[in-house]
Amino acid sequence: MSAESDPDAALMLCVKQGDTAAFAVLVDKYKQPVMNLAYRMLRDATEAEDLAQMVFVQVFKSARRYEVASKFSTWLFTIARNLCLNEIRRRSRHPVESMEAVHPGQEDQPPQQYEDVKTASPPERLLHGELEEKIEQAVAGLPENQRLAILLCRQDELSYEEIARVLGCTVSATKSLIHRGRETLKQKLKPYLQTGAWRDSK
Amino acid sequence: MTNDPIYDHLRELSWRRKLTAAEEAELRAWLAARPEAQPDWDTEASLNAALGRLPDVPVPSNFTARVLQAVEREAAVELRQGEPKWQFWRRLRWLPKVAFATIVLAAGLVSYHQLQAARFAEYAHSVAAVSDVSSLPSPEILKDFDAIRVSNPTSLPDEQLLAALK
Repeated sequence: MSAESDPDAALMLCVKQGDTAAFAVLVDKYKQPVMNLAYRMLRDATEAEDLAQMVFVQVFKSARRYEVASKFSTWLFTIARNLCLNEIRRRSRHPVESMEAVHPGQEDQPPQQYEDVKTASPPERLLHGELEEKIEQAVAGLPENQRLAILLCRQDELSYEEIARVLGCTVSATKSLIHRGRETLKQKLKPYLQTGAWRDSK
Repeated sequence: MTNDPIYDHLRELSWRRKLTAAEEAELRAWLAARPEAQPDWDTEASLNAALGRLPDVPVPSNFTARVLQAVEREAAVELRQGEPKWQFWRRLRWLPKVAFATIVLAAGLVSYHQLQAARFAEYAHSVAAVSDVSSLPSPEILKDFDAIRVSNPTSLPDEQLLAALK
């Protein structure tokens, strides 16, 4: 792999020299796929946005150590994957306490009002179609590694070898993860898939 | 699963991207010969379409600007905290080379000292041997050796006695 064969790697080499304009080009190009991945891994639009921002900040901070060993997108999605998994682990260690939980000594006070982020958040508002909602739910229900493999598989620029590198496993293990994930999705979405509604409406 | 390499290959391609016209034609020909696989392919194609319908999550228009701002903020924090760690190590990048040279020099010195010590031991051994020779009796005692040897020739072996002993 060389910078000539991957224009993004060439841009990253400019970033390594402190070129912020090149960095802005890369952020513009990859913000959408990174946001999509972060949102579907975390299922929270605000956290996904923060995490996507962290991914790019991490890219900039790591630019000094960047070597053109593989495609830039492989490196970028590896960073995104690591940050997503860290966040998921952090969540499982420190689960968010329910807002409705009554704390000792506060029984008599009226419940505090919080903004309903769920209804106010633009990404959720747009994901309203029933079919889309079903597939979103089915994908969200997959184990993390299968979900990640299926989401990365939808990134046009990543080959199976590159997806395997991002996931840190072999190509055959990657294909197996995707196959198992898809089998689960087929089961969950069976009634919808059989109607052919998705294919017809595309 | 069909365990057919052609079908599996085309199916795996379809997971990642839309099949090309040639690949579609190959698939149609394959399915025409194996109609029992058609329902499986229909489900695969439906799932591909369903996954393709996953909408893009809206990205704020100021996302890039915010990332650049965050990067600048990080840089400022690094500056405030003084010299970044990587710069500190960069300044000391000569250290491993010097350490290696020191090790090589030390190893050379130790080898040289050991060689010198071995040589000294050898010299000492030689001196000891010479000093042993000096303690031998004086050669004066051998001055009549030839005369004594001639005047007292060694008797010839008694061959009869030797034969009897055998």
